[in-house]
Amino acid sequence: MAMVPCPSQRLSLSSSIKSAAPHQICVSRPSRAPRRPAHLAVTAAAAAPQASKALDRFSAFDRVSVLSEALPYLQRFRGKTIVIKYGGAAMKDESLKARVVSDLVLLSCVGIHPVMVHGGGPEINSWLNKLGIEAQFKNGLRVTDAATMDVVEMVLGGRVNKSLVSLIQQSGGAAVGLCGKDSDIIRARQMVEKDIGFVGEVTSVNPSLLQTLVADGYIPVVASVASDGKGQGLNVNADTAAGEIAASLRAEKLILMTDVPGVMRDKDDPSTKFAALTIRECKELEDQGIIAGGMIPKVDCCIRSLSQGVSATHIIDGRQPHSLLMELLTDEGIGTMICERPL
Amino acid sequence: APYKALEAVTVDLSAFPACNFFRVEALIRPWRLSTVVAKLNASGIRGMTVSDVKGAGVQGGRKERYAGTEFGGSSDQFLVEKARMDVVVTRGQVDTVVRIVATAAHTGQIGDGKIFVHPVADIIRIRTGETGPLAERMEGGMEDMTGIKGV
Repeated sequence: MAMVPCPSQRLSLSSSIKSAAPHQICVSRPSRAPRRPAHLAVTAAAAAPQASKALDRFSAFDRVSVLSEALPYLQRFRGKTIVIKYGGAAMKDESLKARVVSDLVLLSCVGIHPVMVHGGGPEINSWLNKLGIEAQFKNGLRVTDAATMDVVEMVLGGRVNKSLVSLIQQSGGAAVGLCGKDSDIIRARQMVEKDIGFVGEVTSVNPSLLQTLVADGYIPVVASVASDGKGQGLNVNADTAAGEIAASLRAEKLILMTDVPGVMRDKDDPSTKFAALTIRECKELEDQGIIAGGMIPKVDCCIRSLSQGVSATHIIDGRQPHSLLMELLTDEGIGTMICERPL
Repeated sequence: APYKALEAVTVDLSAFPACNFFRVEALIRPWRLSTVVAKLNASGIRGMTVSDVKGAGVQGGRKERYAGTEFGGSSDQFLVEKARMDVVVTRGQVDTVVRIVATAAHTGQIGDGKIFVHPVADIIRIRTGETGPLAERMEGGMEDMTGIKGV
């Protein structure tokens, strides 16, 4: 199927899931999930719609065994906050999108507290096109003039954010869509020095609203638009926003969903992917030029939130179906984990 | 990377030629404390005091990040939470202890902390009344494990 564009990582689990129906998410439920769902019976209910034709060859016992194997992971992360930066290919492909959303709802059902942070570059570009505004980039960053900023705010806060919220609602979660301006979650200052318009650097994060929502079992979905305190919206990098929100919530994990398998020694060979790295190893790989290009800001974002007390950060392949669950609930994981102590 | 420098750091104690004991005072990020304690413990450092403190260390207007927020710019966001750890060791163990603490607390970001080394005149163990090297020494500690004495 075309929804798995990366042929390199055909793990046995993903191949069994590949043939699952892409619109499983729309299966109607008898009632919506309770607000504070935290028992295993709900886990089973959340996982049940995944069972499609491909899973029919597993006996009921097989399925229950697999579920019970996840117990230690569920126990380890129960009650912990996990900040997920959602973006890239996983955002464009509808079937991947549906899977990310169902993963998120499952995590929330088993008592883990996911917080989603998203950007939305391609969507912004397509609306800029429709309005006849030309998208400009300078050193990989979007040049954001006043007109562009209006579109950024509308698209991220309105369209992208609310479509994620409604997908989560449809699959039985309780999502609240916010942008960084709400309750000043993200305060930023304009990066005047870079001369690219209304692009901001995060100066402070106010996590109190997020904490309230998380404590009540809601899934916050935050668009990476920040307030400058004087009414001007600022466009901030979604990776950075996610990292700082994770730091402010003292999250257990920060997960960055990307379009690559992880940090690799040879960027064209997924078999050279690092499963786990320490800050020290990252610095050494940066010095050697092995971590280069677009991976540098991602790794630096991870180090920045690790140094503020986040326990572990993960750079995962968002193109893989159920990459979130693979990373969280299996030993091998699916991407690169960066943390202080190696596994 | 500064890791190599930290691993080879030597403390200049020449201003106190007659002093047998030194207090290593480390100001570090609070969530690094457990790593630092574990590393010290593994090397036989079994006596330490830890306290919660707040502090600032602002260089050239650069800002430290804590809880997603920049500190060090304005007066209301100036002091940042830190952990302070005090370890009193013999002269010969100072370098080892400083190296362990520094490498375990390092992240490379602004706000990693500082280490001060102070001279200590004497040590008294209250339970037994022992003084000096006897009071400093911990059974099964660094001296027993590595033979690093220094007094």
